[in-house]
Amino acid sequence: MSNFERAGNAYSLDLTLDEAHILINLVEQLLELLGEGDFFHHYDTTDPFAALMSMQQEVVAPDDPVLMRLLPNAYADPEAAGDFRRFTESTIRSTKQRILREVRAHLAILVDEDKAGTVADLEADTWLIALNDLRLALSVRLEINEESFDLFESLPDEDPQKSIYAVYYWLGWLQENLLNLL
Amino acid sequence: MSEESAGSTFGGVDTLTDIDAALHELLDRPWICLVWDDPVNLMSYVIFVFKKIFGFSHERANELMLLVHNEGRAVVASGSREEMERYVQSLHEHGLWATLQRDDKI
Repeated sequence: MSNFERAGNAYSLDLTLDEAHILINLVEQLLELLGEGDFFHHYDTTDPFAALMSMQQEVVAPDDPVLMRLLPNAYADPEAAGDFRRFTESTIRSTKQRILREVRAHLAILVDEDKAGTVADLEADTWLIALNDLRLALSVRLEINEESFDLFESLPDEDPQKSIYAVYYWLGWLQENLLNLL
Repeated sequence: MSEESAGSTFGGVDTLTDIDAALHELLDRPWICLVWDDPVNLMSYVIFVFKKIFGFSHERANELMLLVHNEGRAVVASGSREEMERYVQSLHEHGLWATLQRDDKI
């Protein structure tokens, strides 16, 4: 099984080609969901410049439950939550996108060469946040709760859901592995 | 005081009393930042994030993580609204489920 290893202040990760493909696909799907290069796609406006410049535009909460988990309401009060979203959401989105793009660039080295190998010079914070966001995204789709691991173990191998659970728990294992090296 | 007697009234509201009440509320009831439990974030990751964002010792971070886990939520910081909003933004960037509100324990 793949492991992170520590090298000075940086980290490296051995991956099989299959693992690199799984990770890069998840990263790209999440980047797409976050609206790569388009922070305002769900804003209630037809003019992106107006959305950028104006504080009067209405900003609506994301309707995708994955985005709602990654960009949750900061206040119970809807008006205060909307104000917070208007001022901070594009920053949080771009931070997440920057981190995912960095991870994508590392993985692309293996995928482009079409071979297993080691991705080196990894920054722990970047990978911890990216792995966490991927887990959060999958957890919404899988409706993860305290009983999910038992469900996963009881699923027959031919159940298509089983492999998605397996990826979810593998990401958690990788994240824990990196945390243990800090 | 009637609204017509002017002086300390503005738009029918006694401004001095209002300001006094607002100051009182501001001083007595700070804003708090809450972190909520979820079944996804690893305990060790939550400790890592608390140490990184708030500069807590490992012990303090562990204590707060357990409070979140066992009670469903925990107050991790209190202070000005602006300060708490910055914390919530940073916690969201790290994938933790955080909110802010006025401290209601008065």
